[in-house]
Amino acid sequence: MESSRRITIEPVTRLEGHGRIEIFLNEQGQVDHAYFQVPELRGFEKFAQGRPAEEMPQITSRICGVCPMAHHMASTKALDALYQVTPPPAARKIRELVYSAFFVEDHALHFYFLGGPDFVVGPDVPASERNVLGVIAKVGMETGQRVIGMRRKLRGVVAMAAGKAIHPVFGLPGGVAKPLSQQVVSQFREVADEAVDFACFTLDLFEKVVLGNSGYLDLILSDPFTHRTYYMGLVDENNHVNFYDGAVRVVAPNHHEWARFQASDISDYVAERAEPWTYMKFCYLKDVGWKGFTEGEESGVYAVAPLARLNVAEGMATPLAYNAYLKFHGTLGGRPVHHTLANHWARIVEMVYAAERMKQLANEPEVADPIVRTLPAATPREGIGVVEAPRGTLFHHYRTDERGIITGANLIVATQNNAARIAMSVEKAAKKLISGGNVPDSVLNMVEMAFRAYDPCLGCATHSLPGGMPLAIHVRDRRGEPLLILRRGADGRVSRE
Amino acid sequence: MIRLLGLGNEILADDAFGILVAHEVERLMPGEIEVVCSSAAGFDLLDELLGASHLLIVDTILTGAARPGTIHVFPTNPAHQAHGVGPHFLGLFEVLALGRELQLDVPREVVVIAVEASDCTSIGAAIQPEVRAAIPEAIDAIQQTIAKWRRTERPH
Repeated sequence: MESSRRITIEPVTRLEGHGRIEIFLNEQGQVDHAYFQVPELRGFEKFAQGRPAEEMPQITSRICGVCPMAHHMASTKALDALYQVTPPPAARKIRELVYSAFFVEDHALHFYFLGGPDFVVGPDVPASERNVLGVIAKVGMETGQRVIGMRRKLRGVVAMAAGKAIHPVFGLPGGVAKPLSQQVVSQFREVADEAVDFACFTLDLFEKVVLGNSGYLDLILSDPFTHRTYYMGLVDENNHVNFYDGAVRVVAPNHHEWARFQASDISDYVAERAEPWTYMKFCYLKDVGWKGFTEGEESGVYAVAPLARLNVAEGMATPLAYNAYLKFHGTLGGRPVHHTLANHWARIVEMVYAAERMKQLANEPEVADPIVRTLPAATPREGIGVVEAPRGTLFHHYRTDERGIITGANLIVATQNNAARIAMSVEKAAKKLISGGNVPDSVLNMVEMAFRAYDPCLGCATHSLPGGMPLAIHVRDRRGEPLLILRRGADGRVSRE
Repeated sequence: MIRLLGLGNEILADDAFGILVAHEVERLMPGEIEVVCSSAAGFDLLDELLGASHLLIVDTILTGAARPGTIHVFPTNPAHQAHGVGPHFLGLFEVLALGRELQLDVPREVVVIAVEASDCTSIGAAIQPEVRAAIPEAIDAIQQTIAKWRRTERPH
């Protein structure tokens, strides 16, 4: 069908309106400041108000098309806190088991298909090959099919336990909706064994391709991708990484523990800062204080996500991941590692952990226990839940009346925690290449590599027609007047306006 | 087999469009084609893209170059989509290209019908009247596409 209304679409989609980069130049044409504007969904609190708190795990997982499972889990844990109820051991284990399977899948897809173009194909390869098809050309069809097959199996077991892989429905205050049958448990065991093999295979692949190439390592260690900041992440009682539960630990740039606290105390430690030039809010550590977009012990800027988690942890709870953790810190100069691009490596170390943890939990007899719910009895008032989303620490905070009807709701998502450091990364990459008002095309890729390592959530960029990531950088003078728009279209070409 | 995939989110204002169109197709043409809805993004859409020979996708788009409620129809060329995908992003077409490369069961024909939207980020807001008013036009485009496929392609 040929439509007379068919028009030529510029590569401008909902992604550009939100996930765009703004660079401000001073009078000398040098970079003054820069930031990456992440999408903002409006009206969440108002939408939540007046609804029963029990609906929140379903509502919050429907809002975000990117990591619904993380929202479902953080929300379910906020309900535990709201009703002051502790899930039975089996329920806790089922939740963590499902969550571990989700992590293996999410990290694998990110490594192969999103980070892969830079790290598997290579940062210097022409743009026409540096894409997901280039990854397949490099790793081979068999590996590509293995990734897809692994994903299908992980989703299969998650769906058996959680209802749906995309919109889970199993989390309830005080537990989960149903116990795991022996048959489902044995499926989990089978898939977990395969996931451990797959994760180790991926780690080998990474080490062969990246560590075997000194150019890559130099890039990871290079100054434009390095910031000495604080780091935040969840740890268990041994200060090992945990995705599902634990204390929030913050380490300083010099690796000393700065704080270790329960999620319910988050407002004592973290504050938000507004800047006049963006609607975005920047999280910072309250007692350190906001000193602008600067590094070091004096600045309250902190980061979350895989690199941050390996920096706050003093080890991993499983053996293969622990070895990988030691090699990671050993190669990159010790803890904490301040190199943003190391997030890609950290993600694979975490994938090994998630797979091993899945195996551990699936083999604990208690996971098949039929008692999976503690019924809430207390009067609800306020609850805060926390998990590590693949993209970093995620907090859900609800207030209700005595009937459990929401009166206030707030989320602190990973990308918000990272917002200040992402802005610094974009700025540093831009500063490296922009001088005297001269903005080369290469700034697009440098800036994109800088923010992509954080895997910022572009949830509202959901379906993003017509294809290709239409990245645009807006360059402005210090009064905010537009000077130049640098745009990369769906065909990979760069244009200037 | 012909499948219609309605993309969107019923609680995000204009983003409800794809879902509403899918429901309308189910009502008007019960059992004629397979109808699937999803609010997922990127790679999460893979399962919905496999297993049909002909795929109609209904979604929203923000081009800024047309008034809200304008219907855009993109007959996509499968061969073309294998090139020029961005380095760090997996949208619908990247996922299709990847599926083709890995010899998965991707559709032979894909047509995208998208409505120009103006607000897809206000949680709980209603779809705007001018966007909702475009539903019959989208249904027309869908029926024409199906009729053409049945004439020339003979899908099951």
